[in-house]
Amino acid sequence: MTATQGKVPEKRPAFEPAAGLLKPTGYDPRMPRPAATVAGAALVLLRTLGGVIVLAGIAAGWDGLLAAVDSAVEVLTPGPDDRRTGLVLVVAVGSALLLFEAMLAVLIFKGYNWPRVLVMLVATFDISTTFFAWSARGQDISVQNALFSVALDILVLLALSSRSAAAYARRNEQRS
Amino acid sequence: MDWLFFVFAGLAAIWLAYLSLTETFDLGWWGLLFALVFWGLLAYLVLPRLHSILTTIYVPDYFIGRARTSDGLLGDPVNLALMGTGEQITQALEQAGWTKADPITAASAWRIATSTVRRQSYREAPVSPLLLFGRQQDFAYQQEVDGNPAQRHHVRFWECPEGWLLPGGHRVDWLAAGTFDTAVGLSLFTFQVTHRIDANTDIERDYIVETVVDADPRVVVDVIKGFSSGYHARNGGGDTIHTDGDLPIIDVRALPLREEDAPVREGTPR
Repeated sequence: MTATQGKVPEKRPAFEPAAGLLKPTGYDPRMPRPAATVAGAALVLLRTLGGVIVLAGIAAGWDGLLAAVDSAVEVLTPGPDDRRTGLVLVVAVGSALLLFEAMLAVLIFKGYNWPRVLVMLVATFDISTTFFAWSARGQDISVQNALFSVALDILVLLALSSRSAAAYARRNEQRS
Repeated sequence: MDWLFFVFAGLAAIWLAYLSLTETFDLGWWGLLFALVFWGLLAYLVLPRLHSILTTIYVPDYFIGRARTSDGLLGDPVNLALMGTGEQITQALEQAGWTKADPITAASAWRIATSTVRRQSYREAPVSPLLLFGRQQDFAYQQEVDGNPAQRHHVRFWECPEGWLLPGGHRVDWLAAGTFDTAVGLSLFTFQVTHRIDANTDIERDYIVETVVDADPRVVVDVIKGFSSGYHARNGGGDTIHTDGDLPIIDVRALPLREEDAPVREGTPR
């Protein structure tokens, strides 16, 4: 009796994966939302919250900040109107960016892939530049300055790059 | 592109762990908090990511008689095979005094942690996910020993793929990995909090067979002697294991089918 007669199950061949990491994630539209996606979206929101605090700090100390810039760059001598316009501009642009970031967090939570990739690209850029400044220029990274910001970037990247987060974001993709 | 971010994040996490470690020396007593942060990063982010990358490269992906952890490390030995349906296996285990483990969720993980610390009973405590055939166990059963989840008998079950044969050509319907949790400790490979297991996995294997056979005379057992070579190794938590390599095949096909007892697969929406 041979396996092809259908009575004896044929032995399944065992394949060595050439590179398992390169394996595309599977098509699974009903996949439940993994913890990594929730954690990633929450961390992006946390980063947005950090941005709000920084923006509020800039707005509160705007005059002092301009004075510091004035002393460093003597060419700039803004009047009171210019100062107010500058503040409004900075707050408006900053708020728009933060709103966009918050929107990305929501879209990541809902399982879209492009916001996940965009956030990972930005985090990779931030981490790379900070690492370069730390390793090549000896920039100090401690609790008092950039540690929390870089930690948040790395945690976001870890969460969103995980296999489960990638599989969830690509759950509707049918690839051969 | 995903794998590029996956690897880059692993490298970045190493750097973050290093930064946290250096901070512990500069912050006085607050350094203790940072030491804890360093351990958390190392145990739950850095080492799992590194193991995932490395084991994907060097651990074979075909059946070698071992389950794998979610990080890809070789886990508990596959030391039982079964013939029958999931319902029949469930029935055989439950009449032998085994309790189905809860799926692992934030709530069940919290409850097992608090039950262990407070020495309270949690008969349905979850078991960690182990992978065989590239997927998590379909269900797991356990028996609490000392009135709390620190020590317990436990066994995970995976249904074999359609038409799959054991090395050597035997057809079985299910495979299982049974080990005895002796205490809570730290994993040697990831430093995560985990259960330590008894090194002699054959004792647990034979205990599972004995309880199921004693509970129902319709259950019969055949043994493939020397299915694997006897070996000494370590499981996914770094605990020593040794076995004689025998594989009992528990046949529960004589038990009646009870559809209402069909086990719900972990991860499947109810």
